[in-house]
Amino acid sequence: MSATGSVGGTARREPHAPESTLGRKPDYLHAESTLRSWFLTTDHKRIAILYLASITGFFVIGAVAAGVVRLALIVPNGAVMTNDTYNKAFTIHGVVMVWFFLIPSIPATFGNFLIPLMIGAKDLAFPKLNLTSWYVFMGGALFTLVSVVLGGVDTGWTFYAPLSTAFSNTWVLPALIGVTIVGFSSILTGLNFVVTIHTMRAPGMTWFKLPIFVWAHYATSLIFLLATPVITTALILLIMERAFHIGVFDPAYGGDPVLFQHLFWFYSHPAVYIMVLPGMGVISEIVPAFAQKKLFGYRFVAYASIGLASVTFFVWGHHMFVNGQSDLASLVFSVLSFAVAVPSAVKVYNWTATIHKGSLRLDTPMLYAMGYIGLFVLGGLTGLYLATLAINQHIHATYFVVAHFHYIMVGGTVLAFLGGLHFWWPKFTGRMYVEAWGRVSAFLIFLGFNVTFFPQFILGYLGMPRRYATYPPEFQLLNVLSSAGATILAAGYLFPMLYLVYSLWFGRRAPANPWNAKGLEWETASPPPAHNFLEPPEVPRIPYDYPIQAQETRDQHR
Amino acid sequence: MTPDHAALQLWPAAVSANAVETDVLILAFTVLTLLLTVPVFLAITYFALRYREGSQADRQPSGIRSNLIEISWMLIPFLLTLVFFVWGARLFVLSKNPPPDAMTIEAVGRQWMWKFQHPTGQAEINDLHVPIGQPIRLRIISQDVIHALYLPAVRMQVAALPDRYTELWFKADKTGTYHLYCSEYCGTDHSVMEGKITFMNPGDYQDWLTHAGAQQGKVAAGRVLYEAYGCAGCHEPGSAVKAPGLAGLYGSEVRLADGRTVVADDAWLREKILNPNGDRLAGGGKQVMPSFAGRIPADDLGRVIDFIKAYDTAGARAGASGAGESAEATR
Amino acid sequence: MSSAPVPEGAVEGVGVARVAHFETVAQQRQAATLGIWAWLITELLLFSALFLVALVVRIEHPEATIAAARHLKFWIGATNTVVLICSSLTMSMAIAFSRMGWQRAMVRAMLATAALGGLFLVLKGYEYYADWDEHMMPFLADRPFALAETPAARLFVNLYYVATILHAVHLLTGILILLGMTWMAARAGFLARHQNWIEVYGLYWHFIDLVWILAFPILYVVNRSS
Repeated sequence: MSATGSVGGTARREPHAPESTLGRKPDYLHAESTLRSWFLTTDHKRIAILYLASITGFFVIGAVAAGVVRLALIVPNGAVMTNDTYNKAFTIHGVVMVWFFLIPSIPATFGNFLIPLMIGAKDLAFPKLNLTSWYVFMGGALFTLVSVVLGGVDTGWTFYAPLSTAFSNTWVLPALIGVTIVGFSSILTGLNFVVTIHTMRAPGMTWFKLPIFVWAHYATSLIFLLATPVITTALILLIMERAFHIGVFDPAYGGDPVLFQHLFWFYSHPAVYIMVLPGMGVISEIVPAFAQKKLFGYRFVAYASIGLASVTFFVWGHHMFVNGQSDLASLVFSVLSFAVAVPSAVKVYNWTATIHKGSLRLDTPMLYAMGYIGLFVLGGLTGLYLATLAINQHIHATYFVVAHFHYIMVGGTVLAFLGGLHFWWPKFTGRMYVEAWGRVSAFLIFLGFNVTFFPQFILGYLGMPRRYATYPPEFQLLNVLSSAGATILAAGYLFPMLYLVYSLWFGRRAPANPWNAKGLEWETASPPPAHNFLEPPEVPRIPYDYPIQAQETRDQHR
Repeated sequence: MTPDHAALQLWPAAVSANAVETDVLILAFTVLTLLLTVPVFLAITYFALRYREGSQADRQPSGIRSNLIEISWMLIPFLLTLVFFVWGARLFVLSKNPPPDAMTIEAVGRQWMWKFQHPTGQAEINDLHVPIGQPIRLRIISQDVIHALYLPAVRMQVAALPDRYTELWFKADKTGTYHLYCSEYCGTDHSVMEGKITFMNPGDYQDWLTHAGAQQGKVAAGRVLYEAYGCAGCHEPGSAVKAPGLAGLYGSEVRLADGRTVVADDAWLREKILNPNGDRLAGGGKQVMPSFAGRIPADDLGRVIDFIKAYDTAGARAGASGAGESAEATR
Repeated sequence: MSSAPVPEGAVEGVGVARVAHFETVAQQRQAATLGIWAWLITELLLFSALFLVALVVRIEHPEATIAAARHLKFWIGATNTVVLICSSLTMSMAIAFSRMGWQRAMVRAMLATAALGGLFLVLKGYEYYADWDEHMMPFLADRPFALAETPAARLFVNLYYVATILHAVHLLTGILILLGMTWMAARAGFLARHQNWIEVYGLYWHFIDLVWILAFPILYVVNRSS
């Protein structure tokens, strides 16, 4: 059974880039086939594939570490492994997932592949720099993996001083150096995107014709550029302190360890939006395509992306309400955190309104998108619980926080990543996956995710602190439930890896536009030729020019 | 002394008025959350069914200008949630300003134990006994990394910082024994850095102070010295130096490098601390411990030995229940 | 790879060769300029975070900071400021020469810039030696800190090292890139293909200069008053 392709329906039209054009000019995958042509490529599409392969590897490492954590927590007394092993497992999980999967996930793969296509350019502005970013990324990864192989790190992904500088006896230094290096990779990617979006748009592609995906990546890139250098400074100071005792955080000589937290969260809170915004961009492409309807409130969603990216710079202190911050600062950070919810809410309501009176197909990407909306709403609103000062005093650093950010990171970013992966898989590879399998995996992940993480909200409110290798026995039932959910989740992750790889060889060949979607990336062949477009693409009159509600859009874009 | 919790509880016990109000706040917030989200979920489900491709549905544009809708669904939820910001902020500010008649208990965190010192001088390790009906103010500091003292029963936590004091206060109105935790990750035994907080009637508290509290205080004092003189830095499990562990040492047989076996009693421990180069241990470890002769006064040395006696194999929990007995031995 | 003339004030033999993925030379120039500015903003934030920490340290421990700052070699810092300003001047000259197509003069100005950068590093190295001599390196276990009685002085001293070393690393990288580029720029036809490299690089050099011009007052001057 297949619900893709040209299933009947009056609104459908046949893909207009015929397969025959490929006969004359090979696509980017087949343009060259040597190893060298992959590892020294400057084609943004190939670099995106390099990133996709690497971050999949890191996702597996991070997921295995998460499995170890859930395994340990099946019993309350720590009988499965030592406290040290547990601490290293959750640290590796955090470091790898945050810095080597979530942050690069959507920007470095989909962003890299799609931004030039969506704006009608031949490549990013700086193709060699793009390749450099990947090598820098892998260099940073190498350092971090070295620290894992040598024996691991036990500081948590937050590297709080003075634990990380003076007290931990594990391999903190290589991990810190790795994370610092990866920051440069982010900066270079962000720089490339900003310059590309500013200067490389096809003639006629004005700012308000850009897809939300591009807007979201523009906002993300600004965060890359403006926040990442601050964590680089903080990490350099940590490295100098740990390696050479040239430090400013160690209280042993009057240093201020909370200062590190300020610098850390000045980056790491915006970094949440590095992970969230591209996901929102992906959903904003999927929902209109599967509703065959123009995105509701395009301009508001575009502005909301920039709004989120701006406000997020002023809320870092909400991670530190109970860390000795002044009460006034806490009040200000609290109210600003409530304000962040506004642009986030806009997007959720707009996606819902887009479905209204659409013509819906519930294919795999759309299932992921709907799962995303549900989980993201829960994650966002529980974030408001945490931003409420009196509630924060109770649930700060408990499993409530763990559940909250997993709803945002997994429920948000990972579901958007998987939804986007299925949506653009035909474009990336030229092959269709088996639709039924895709739907099964979407259901498995949604179910497994909720069984894993919903109990953690309860655990948190009951008062179970996070990062605990052992815990009071009365919390065991919920922890076992959570671990059971993690098994379902693991199956849900494994399944797409298998059938997507299977589709590379046995999948049906994809037409140029299997979803009948709008956007310049669908105007070229699947997979695209080496320089993206055989002839300069025609920029549409309006963005999201879907058949339904053309009337209203004509009003808005006079 | 174990907290009497059921296998599965769905709501944590609350022992202070502040905790009860926090619960009301979160419940009310949850109601608002449901009001804001359930319509979205219902709408998505309904639309997904109603407007499936091929269904006979009205797809005519409604003709409503979207700006008004956009602005209303931005601002209305925001203003509604602001009510909860104000409510939460009020509770927070209250919880930050202890009344002047509060009783102050000093709390010190270090890897991986809590030490509490009552105003009357009694100290306890990891566990805390407090009277109800009276404001209690905890003055908290850390001796090494950042910790955080978390008392779920009063819905409070605050960081223990190495370079400055932080405060937390509450006024309990129900008796009972509940968990207390370290909630800021602090290294290997972070999850072991927990204990029990017992809320007692004032009379029981006085009683406790004069009996158990005083005895626990002696061992606790020894433990503090054991940390302060730097013994813990090398002898605690997991330290970089890998010095022999002291848990369960007292009264056991120790094999020496020259083949003799001695019993670790008061006199031998005292001698070994003052003259570490004598009686080399078997096992070939390098002797790096400095002599404490002339660096530790006799009474401190006695207390450290008291502590080593009470330091059982169960780990770092010495000073908790059961320690009182051995603390009675003379030195 | 067609060579396009510079639009305004065109000089024979000066221009930029278009790379394939750009549509026009103007687009390529615009991208390069925007790219370097984006990079410089990032770099500025990197140093700003350090300067902010310096400010926090100064507010939290004013006496200790002033005591530590007294050991800084004010006159070496001041001389270095002048050296870097001169180097910015020679770099600007190089850019001006490149626009006029005076290749030899441009190469000489670039070499002068690199030499001034080198002079800065030598002076800075001497300053570090003097610090070492005065026991102002608290992180060295075998050289007890001169201000051991005010432990917080360590904070400022440490920050001084991190900031100046980070700046020196930037300067060293800058000099190496500059020398590499000078070597390429000395060859015939360079200005016809890559004139904008000189402009883009010039911005980076001015930035390194700017960072020092910020660092000098923040570290040396502000804390001098007693």
